[in-house]
Amino acid sequence: MKRENVEDIVLEIKDKSELMVDLAYSSLLYDNKTIAKEVYDLEELIDNLYRNLQKKTLEHVKNKKLDINDALTVLRLAEAGEKIADAALEITDVELRDVELHPILKMSIRESDQVFTRVEVKNQSILAGKTLGKLKLASETGMMVIAMRHGDKWLYGPNKNTKIDQGDILFAKGPEDGEKHLIDLATGKTSKI
Amino acid sequence: MKERKRRRIFGRLQRTPKWKKEEFTELEYEPTSVKELLTEMKDISELIIDLAYSAVFFDNEEMAEEVKYLDVRMDKLNYDIRMMAMMAARTKEDAEELAGILQVAEAAETISNAAGDIVNLHSLEKKGPILPKILKQADEQLFRIKVSSESKACNQKIGHLKVESETGMRIIAIRREECWIYNPQSDTSIQADDWLITRGTEAGYSELRKFLLGKLEVLE
Repeated sequence: MKRENVEDIVLEIKDKSELMVDLAYSSLLYDNKTIAKEVYDLEELIDNLYRNLQKKTLEHVKNKKLDINDALTVLRLAEAGEKIADAALEITDVELRDVELHPILKMSIRESDQVFTRVEVKNQSILAGKTLGKLKLASETGMMVIAMRHGDKWLYGPNKNTKIDQGDILFAKGPEDGEKHLIDLATGKTSKI
Repeated sequence: MKERKRRRIFGRLQRTPKWKKEEFTELEYEPTSVKELLTEMKDISELIIDLAYSAVFFDNEEMAEEVKYLDVRMDKLNYDIRMMAMMAARTKEDAEELAGILQVAEAAETISNAAGDIVNLHSLEKKGPILPKILKQADEQLFRIKVSSESKACNQKIGHLKVESETGMRIIAIRREECWIYNPQSDTSIQADDWLITRGTEAGYSELRKFLLGKLEVLE
């Protein structure tokens, strides 16, 4: 992870905080503690990034590398990201505390504009053995993979170099009509991306 | 595909509402379902962040106003869901489960507050904007595209065109003359001269752009 300049750090906070919200909803939908714990860990990571960013930004202002207004913008943008991360943590708190999940909770998450889905990649699937970048899943099916389970290892917020193998379990988010396409691809029912 | 109830505020053509008017409206008990409230809160929490970044990125006052309106609406929904939850609780088990729902509703409200904060950054951004520079480097970017009358998209429904599942581009809002459609739904039609505010990857954008300019017959 490159963390040389403040712009990279603030972007990382933005991206990670949005990923956390998606993961948080997935953890509730699938009653999954592993994902919930990851949200917890990511929150700590964001706290560290934010501290690091505050220090770097002040240094830049002192060295006249950054204008005061720009510095404030960067810090407030990061603060908003931090707030979103906290909200994600509030959501997973329900899962981590073992609160009995009301059926409405799952229904609301399922029925909103963006749906979450979980699917296992079968060996006859066209997805197996390819990277996300090569498959262009997001731009071809609208479904964004937010997490995947590979054996007993988990990967959160995969990037274009992430390879999908048979047996992997994908957690994805996207429009309702993209869900079926992704499931058909993963189960080998179709090979047309 | 299952039939879905129409959302009360999304997907319709409207002028950007005056959020100030809504700010401290009187609280009144009105029976609604907890599920409907929670679904709307979740939908708003997902849209409002993208909308807030778009407002700042495109330096657009109206989108900023809509963010403030949604933020204010979220406050009201949060009251409504609390009242409904209290009315619904009969047993200890109910209380425990409903507390979980209120926790998630509260989180959605926190997210909309964060969006309000992002929009307020706007006032800092007058000279030498750093925000657009930062947002341009994200994997998923914001794009604005005008629909050409030559495009096959004209008078077609978004659900029929499968814009998001074919290109990965999420339409955040549509601007039609003086009016807006926020969070367009699958039965919203696209018309010539609409401005689409979208979020997605560079690859998805280039395909959608060609289609909306009439240089591509069909999305696939």
